[in-house]
Amino acid sequence: MRRERLRRLIPFLLVAAVIAGLIVQRAGLWQPIEGLLSRAAVPLQKGISQFVAQVEGLTQTARDLRELRQRNEELEAENARLLLEIVRLREIEVEAALQRDLLNFAQSHPSFDIQGAHIVGVVIGRDPSNLQRYVTLDVGRKAGVARNMPVVTNRGLVGRISEVGDSWSRVLLITDVSSSVNAVTSSSRATGLVQGRPDGLPVMRDIPQGDTVSVGDTVFTSGLGGNFPRQILIGQITAVERNDTDLYQTAIVQPTVDFNHLEMVLIITDFEPIEDEPPKGE
Amino acid sequence: MTIYLVIALLAVVGLVQATLVPLVAVWGVFPDLPLLLVVSWGLLRGSRQGLLWGFVAGIIVDLFSGAPFGAATLPLMAVGFMAGLGETIVFRNVLLLLLAMFLATVVYDLLFLFMVQISGDLLIMKEGTGHTVEWSGSLARVIGSSAVLNALLALPISGGMRVLDRRFRHQGVGRVGL
Repeated sequence: MRRERLRRLIPFLLVAAVIAGLIVQRAGLWQPIEGLLSRAAVPLQKGISQFVAQVEGLTQTARDLRELRQRNEELEAENARLLLEIVRLREIEVEAALQRDLLNFAQSHPSFDIQGAHIVGVVIGRDPSNLQRYVTLDVGRKAGVARNMPVVTNRGLVGRISEVGDSWSRVLLITDVSSSVNAVTSSSRATGLVQGRPDGLPVMRDIPQGDTVSVGDTVFTSGLGGNFPRQILIGQITAVERNDTDLYQTAIVQPTVDFNHLEMVLIITDFEPIEDEPPKGE
Repeated sequence: MTIYLVIALLAVVGLVQATLVPLVAVWGVFPDLPLLLVVSWGLLRGSRQGLLWGFVAGIIVDLFSGAPFGAATLPLMAVGFMAGLGETIVFRNVLLLLLAMFLATVVYDLLFLFMVQISGDLLIMKEGTGHTVEWSGSLARVIGSSAVLNALLALPISGGMRVLDRRFRHQGVGRVGL
């Protein structure tokens, strides 16, 4: 009964307490109580505010992370695009350098009418057998290419055209065993025949014993036989095999052309090789 | 229909052989994929199939090669046929398989050189110039290394061919001609 009456009084008591507090505050008696409460509340507030700040920081970090990730993805995409661009430009640069070198070669040999061609060997045209050394070019009869025309790069002799189609041709490299080129050394003017070997390293045979041949000598086409123009670089002598009982000496020739990385060649179209005569009676 | 599949497969392999394979030379030589395929198939399916695959692969290789036409076809047919004589026996033993591939490469390369020599001699008689062959140099510097390399590749290639065999045997594809 008494409790029931108290419960009915609670709203009035609360209102009274508020009014009393108001009066106490107005009377300036609130500060000590406020100080007491503040002393207890401030650390809590600080803790809560720090916690909130940390939570906010975390959410901000998450937002930043998302943005950074997005930005990173954009930058990676941009980077990949730029890398591709660099590769493309480098490819163009290499191609331009090759063309410039070939042009220099053409200018330094003004007597030749030179037809430029891209080797398609890298794409479609190396010989499938280990025992043969040919490359296929992307120019043929339509471009004026004919059988036996010499093929060169700015670094030296590559070979000669062995087969021609309308828009392709095949080059017999000087490293093939079927190839032979009349050659002369730079210093002693020793003559011989540069022939391919199965391992791809040509040799200069039939050098007379009396001629002096040294390691380091450069070897050029001699023009003898009429199959190749004169003065085209073939390679450098790396070893000499001399036997007193033999009539001739032999030298190993390291070609100046890198046959494993042939990309572009020049075909000398105005040179007319002397065709081999068929044996009599044929 | 089935022969077209064989032609398509061997044409792709021939194309790869004439473009990419020479770029991955080991010991100065590169693998001979058409030969590996023909020999593996002959060992799996017998002489007639080996002969047929050798014919198709040989024609394709000859198209890409600077060697006289037929220089690859006849040797590949012969090697495919001979491989078929070891059908079902060779695949029981890994060493036998390696030995078979080694010998097949040696026989193929020698026959190839023989063909080049014959046609070269004929050309020289007719035109005064032609292909020449250096037997000892080729044997010492190329054929040995090439045979070892092909023998090493026999396992993965023949494994792939067995998968192909199983797949097409169930579907009835691959039993072509002859």
